[in-house]
Amino acid sequence: MRIMNNCNCPLITMTNVHKKFNDFVVLNNITLTVNRGEILAVIGSSGSGKSTLLRSLIKLVEIDSGNILIDKSFLARTINGKVEYASSDILRSIRLQFGMIFQNFPLFPHLTVLENITLAPIKVLRMGKEQVIFEAQELLKKVGLEEFGDAYPFVLSGGQKQRAAIARALAMKPDIMLFDEPTSALDPELAAGVLKIIRNLASQGEKTIIMVTHQLKFVEKIADRVIFIDTGTVAEQGPPKELFADPKTTRLKDFLSHK
Amino acid sequence: MFMTFFLQLIPGILVTLELFILTLLFSIPLGMILAISRVGHFKIIAQIVGFYVWIMRGIPLMLQLIFFYFGAIHLGLTCDRFLAAAVVFVLNYAAYFAEIFRAGIQAIDRSQYEGADVLGLNFWQIIRYIILPQGIKKVLPPLSNEVINLIKDTTLAQAIGVIEMFTTIKIIVARDFIVYPFVAAAIFYLIFTQLITKLFVKMEKYYAYYE
Repeated sequence: MRIMNNCNCPLITMTNVHKKFNDFVVLNNITLTVNRGEILAVIGSSGSGKSTLLRSLIKLVEIDSGNILIDKSFLARTINGKVEYASSDILRSIRLQFGMIFQNFPLFPHLTVLENITLAPIKVLRMGKEQVIFEAQELLKKVGLEEFGDAYPFVLSGGQKQRAAIARALAMKPDIMLFDEPTSALDPELAAGVLKIIRNLASQGEKTIIMVTHQLKFVEKIADRVIFIDTGTVAEQGPPKELFADPKTTRLKDFLSHK
Repeated sequence: MFMTFFLQLIPGILVTLELFILTLLFSIPLGMILAISRVGHFKIIAQIVGFYVWIMRGIPLMLQLIFFYFGAIHLGLTCDRFLAAAVVFVLNYAAYFAEIFRAGIQAIDRSQYEGADVLGLNFWQIIRYIILPQGIKKVLPPLSNEVINLIKDTTLAQAIGVIEMFTTIKIIVARDFIVYPFVAAAIFYLIFTQLITKLFVKMEKYYAYYE
């Protein structure tokens, strides 16, 4: 049972965000608010701009125009037609609010699973090594990898790698978790283990979660809201059950019919 | 007789070893700094490093030795021959190592940078903890090639009158009218090369602990 922590207080506000790669418009004046504690699913066809949307929130992709406000700090704002990004100090503090899970689980191959998890808390948060190791082991238990702390990533299955990546992100105690198609590289059996962890995380209600995914059944179970991105715009949005039962646009109808 | 011959070689061998070790000791760190500067955010620095690499790789090492040593004399500066050779070797090899390290850095998947970046590691932490440890593994084979080249390139120091191992051999050959010292020289370089090859094989085995 999910502990509801979804208040009506905006944590992420994107206003008229525009991004193009060469002549291809990826984000077309996106305006979007995500509340603290909300679980937002982002769906849409491949190439529709879902991942770019996610990556723009942590400046892995730089936008061409628009504003992005995280909590009370501007990550990016447009002044006189020019995008200005936050200073490196503010950017760093914004970044630390986020944990991101990628499709291809980029664990550091030369470090053990435990070292993967403990590196950033020790080097970035300057936490004590003993405390970090203790917390890392707790996280490993949570993701079912307590026996793999000393293993190198190459011995793990895809699902285990992704679970280790989730533990690594959680070790930084982020407020917001971004999941960019976390199960798309996994077969259904391995994906189930990862989805279970995300579901547990969502049910705790402590984190704001934005998840790009094609797992619509899963979305229906855990998301507060779904946005359907089509050609760089938010074509439709709403609670998952309503949206899936009664899509308004032809594009979403087409998209759902293929799922 | 062999002992006498060997004793005559020792000073030259020591000079060769000294030049070899000094070059590695300074050119590898310098090469790393140059490589990081070349892939860093500052375009002007990257271009300056690119120009430096072009000059150092484009002009033969022997000419660089001559330019540096006789150039210094021409400018009225006194310059120790061995020191001049060591400086030129370091500057020259740093350029080659820089290119090897650059290739190693760029061979690391972009997702590794992004993964580290998202965790809040800064540029230098990413280089120190993520990129270099992985890059070293990737550059070991080309690095071993270059180090083996260095063993043989030390003979070029004779261009400015440094009496290293091969020059000593040539002196003995000219003095005693015998050719077998050349065979001894070949054996010396072969053994040296073999030791370096073994060392790199060991290093590659060490880094094979992960894939």
